[in-house]
Amino acid sequence: MINAYILLTMRPGNSNNTIKEMRKIENVEKISVVAGEYDIVVRVHVKDLEKLLEVTNEIQMVDGVKKTTTQVIEKEIAL
Amino acid sequence: MKIRRKYLFYALAFASAIITAGVSAIDATIIAFHIPDPWAFGLSCFLVGTIITLLIVLVFSIPVKGKSLGSKIIDPSFKRLRLVRKEELKYHIPAAVGNSALTIGYFALLSILGDPSAVIPFSQIVILYLIIIESIIEKDMPTLSEIQSSLIVTFGAILGSISLTGGINLQSLAIVFLVINPAWVLFSIYQRKLKLIKIDNKPNDALNIRFWNVVFACIFTTVIVFMYDALIGTNHFIMGITASIEHFNWVALTMGITFFSLVFYIRALGIGKASVTQAVKASSVLFAIPFSLVISYFNIIPPFSTDPVMILIKIIGTTLVILGIVSFALALVKAYVFISVKPGYPIEETMKELWNIRGVTRVAATAGKYDFMVKIRIRTLVKGYEKIIRKLEGIEAINKYKWESVLKEWEEI
Repeated sequence: MINAYILLTMRPGNSNNTIKEMRKIENVEKISVVAGEYDIVVRVHVKDLEKLLEVTNEIQMVDGVKKTTTQVIEKEIAL
Repeated sequence: MKIRRKYLFYALAFASAIITAGVSAIDATIIAFHIPDPWAFGLSCFLVGTIITLLIVLVFSIPVKGKSLGSKIIDPSFKRLRLVRKEELKYHIPAAVGNSALTIGYFALLSILGDPSAVIPFSQIVILYLIIIESIIEKDMPTLSEIQSSLIVTFGAILGSISLTGGINLQSLAIVFLVINPAWVLFSIYQRKLKLIKIDNKPNDALNIRFWNVVFACIFTTVIVFMYDALIGTNHFIMGITASIEHFNWVALTMGITFFSLVFYIRALGIGKASVTQAVKASSVLFAIPFSLVISYFNIIPPFSTDPVMILIKIIGTTLVILGIVSFALALVKAYVFISVKPGYPIEETMKELWNIRGVTRVAATAGKYDFMVKIRIRTLVKGYEKIIRKLEGIEAINKYKWESVLKEWEEI
């Protein structure tokens, strides 16, 4: 299984709808609206790289998404 | 279903609070009519509780469409009843000691004061203890807002408790400060630790944690009551066994409902900080009032005072507890830090250094634009600078970092 963070830069507009759309996407584990260089951080959990490509593609298709940067998790420590 | 993690957390903690208030009314009834001795009641609770909890967990282990009933209704991490693991033992033992002392202390207090709406506020003083413990564990000074909130809750709880008679019972204060609250801290901290450990690479589940906690608490209580009887010459042990048989239905009722209160509480602990969970659960102070009114209406406990001064004290006490809860629970900041490192430094070592920073809840080594993604959870932004940014700047391997404060979050739970 692969975990990844997808960092999104958004176009100004109706961010509520964009988030609503993203919440419908399968494999999306967490959506964090952030303040800083990016606007949204999405955490995804997929079975392989092909599925990650699919999910990234789905996210890119959501209206309002301007740019995505994907960070694939290689190792993780968490509470 | 993706919901805001915060909403689930509050739903669980509030559900636990309401059930706690209801259970305390049942407990007051049992003490008034059936088992007045707190030692015997405590022992019978764990003896009957072990049977009832086993039955409930077995029912929740029934598979339905490939998943257990418990995983669908209570905790998605639950698969079935399982044996306790070796790595859990070191946490189960102190949690059981805490639960055992807490239960007997709580029944002793309930037998002295009678009214649940006077007893429950006293047990909320644990927030003060949790702040102290978290400060020691996290090597961190509490913020002014943490001190304010915990003191407001403490004073509110004391006011709420003295509102019925206008006086303070020293024996009950000793039980509150020396038994109930330290025991609750022990119970709470180790339940959280149990919830956070992984079993077979999956999060530990609240149902197995609760079942094994009752089993260990039963063993511990049996030994303690037996030894106490042997030393002092009392017969609480025999009374406890007799009460378990004679009043099985009543004790089973209170333990069955308590099961759900604690399972919700454990799940909430796995989501939020122990002190915040406890803060929200403190709302049981408010929920206990209608339950107390009902049992006083049926003459189970003495009627409420109609003295306007006492009513005013009660309102002030309850308001303070609620205010303390709200200000405490809302003061939590989450953030991501994206980090790029310099070449020539081992990833594993940098990862360890990042993980050792207090307030860091997740460190992910990633492939992409950044080398690490770090998740932070702190009480204030000032702490973020003092405790995290300064530490990050002290790590030689870090080339540059970006701080991204989380404004809102949804999570698949």
